[in-house]
Amino acid sequence: MSAELRARVLAAATAEPSPTRAAVRRRNMLIGMVAAASGIGAFVIFAVLMSESHLLRLGGEVVPQQRLERPVWLVVATVGGALGVAATAVWLALGRGRSMLGRSPRWLLYGGVLIPVSLLVWKVSCSLAIGDAMVAWPERPGERCLSLSLLVAVGPLLSFLAIRRHAPVQPALNGAAIGFAAGACAWVAADLWCPVAYVPHLLLGHVLPLFVLAGAGALLGRTLLSLRHR
Amino acid sequence: MERYARGDEAAFGALYDALAPRLLGFLRKATRDACAAEDLMQLTLLHMHRARGSFISGAPVSAWAFAIARRLMTDHARRRRVEQRLFSEARADDDRMAYEPTAATAAADDVLHARRLEVRLRQRIEALPELQRTAYRLLQQEGLSLKSAAEVLGTSVTAVKLRAHRAYVALRAVLREAGEPS
Repeated sequence: MSAELRARVLAAATAEPSPTRAAVRRRNMLIGMVAAASGIGAFVIFAVLMSESHLLRLGGEVVPQQRLERPVWLVVATVGGALGVAATAVWLALGRGRSMLGRSPRWLLYGGVLIPVSLLVWKVSCSLAIGDAMVAWPERPGERCLSLSLLVAVGPLLSFLAIRRHAPVQPALNGAAIGFAAGACAWVAADLWCPVAYVPHLLLGHVLPLFVLAGAGALLGRTLLSLRHR
Repeated sequence: MERYARGDEAAFGALYDALAPRLLGFLRKATRDACAAEDLMQLTLLHMHRARGSFISGAPVSAWAFAIARRLMTDHARRRRVEQRLFSEARADDDRMAYEPTAATAAADDVLHARRLEVRLRQRIEALPELQRTAYRLLQQEGLSLKSAAEVLGTSVTAVKLRAHRAYVALRAVLREAGEPS
């Protein structure tokens, strides 16, 4: 090992200041706030444009003389459960356990299966308690919920990628996990806004965006989290 | 690394002293190019320097370092292949070196036999699939644990065991052919 090489490496490190742990923590907190603000902002803009500023929708006329209603306690239950799953998804995607290399591929794959399944099962099982929310709403196949979810999730997706930054191993899989986490956060907004619990609607409007975001996260993760692009 | 993550700038020197020789050895064996190995080692340490703020207290440092080195090495090899294809450069002489007869000064048969065996083993290691070769090197030459090697390779402990086992089987076959106890 030459002293010249050692001096060169140390000089290169000195020439390029890097943030300490405290600085990274502050930066991540700021990015987290930006993620929350962008998600809430997108949700409010969407609600203003699409439903006369109704952030919380409790029902409506499905077909003439048939109404769909959901009680407030059902909203609290479904949104509360979705928040729990979203928090778990964010913990899974952004936390790295006790290793600098992040969670094992197995954990990330389990997350990719369990997050959409648990969100869907929770929503359906809560809605089964009242039959009305499960009826089909022909005018609402789910495309509006799809766009709401994607719109709300864009900010969190990019912010989570900025927080994660490095993934020397499996960048695409880590990116997909981040996509699922952003999608789970968007599910909360969609759940607040949309009273429909008809399963085909849920699959198109609520579950599909999770997979679209996971795909986008995988592509972005491969590009942004991979070391070769630094 | 913990001290460095907290902002102690002088700790980078200690980190260098602890990691650089192992990284350089690993990269030299893998690339068989001393200049490239030095560049990749420098890049690895600079990546660690940039990411020091996100270091997790108590996380194993060597597995992280080897994972970065391996990723950079793969990228470097890919870039070199593209460059060679683009500019049709003549192949480096490194490969041929391994086939050339060793110095003929050694008179004793057993020394000659040992050197030939060493060459054959080295050739066999180089001929192993990349994943098996890296698993073997991380476990046997760098002394990483199965768990750390699995993290570096981004796979499960079982997969690392299987890859290393296949590498051992291939190397044992070379020893058997040479009449050595495997």
